[in-house]
Amino acid sequence: MEKKIGIVNRQAPHGRSDAREALDLTLALSAYNESLSVFFIGDGVYQLLKKHQASRILQKDFQPMLKMFELYDIEQVYICANSLAQRNISVEQLVIKTELLSTEEIKQYLAEQDQLMSF
Amino acid sequence: MSDSQDIKFSLLVTGNPASDQSASTALQFCEAALSAGHHISGVFFYLDGVLTASHLISPASDEVNLPDRWAALATQYNFPLEVCVSASLRRGIVNETEAMQLDLQHYNLKAPFVLSGLGQLAELSASCDRLIQF
Repeated sequence: MEKKIGIVNRQAPHGRSDAREALDLTLALSAYNESLSVFFIGDGVYQLLKKHQASRILQKDFQPMLKMFELYDIEQVYICANSLAQRNISVEQLVIKTELLSTEEIKQYLAEQDQLMSF
Repeated sequence: MSDSQDIKFSLLVTGNPASDQSASTALQFCEAALSAGHHISGVFFYLDGVLTASHLISPASDEVNLPDRWAALATQYNFPLEVCVSASLRRGIVNETEAMQLDLQHYNLKAPFVLSGLGQLAELSASCDRLIQF
């Protein structure tokens, strides 16, 4: 059976390249694995916050690539409700549709994965 | 240890070889797993981990040369050292083919490291019992 792979995004979108390169990795892996789950936790939730102006800090705006999740059939996209609340961000401010999970649910979903990659 | 207990490991190395302990720990993990009779399916270098593949890394003589150690271990135990090509080109890790295509005067990929795509990570992830990230 195909392995369940969880990709965990915990870093702010810019400042380090982790977010951008984790996204590259996610899109590439989706061509080989249909059981991907993507998690946005902690400062990782900022990756989905609308209106980045990445070019102003000499970075590539990767948010349009997030919209390719749907095209690539990456459907299990989860975001930590607690992380959003702590940062006063509402789901309406996010660039893509995600499923809100409580901390307990996230623990459970992560435990169900065969492999985790964390960025 | 019987064969049934052998584990096939794949490694994902994302740490910078000069500044992150994780790059050294990955090598030590590999050495420990192999000496315990386990198998390494392969190692995939991504993010700053790709810098490990530079032939130009030249630490002081009383420091560990991680690229040399990886190359020796991979040759001895015959497992691949795969380096993500897009992460590499961004960081100035280039092989002869890419140098020619990009019209660069130099290349610095150390053998037996090879530039490959993220598809190889998918392969290593599918073929192992455990994937460990460093």
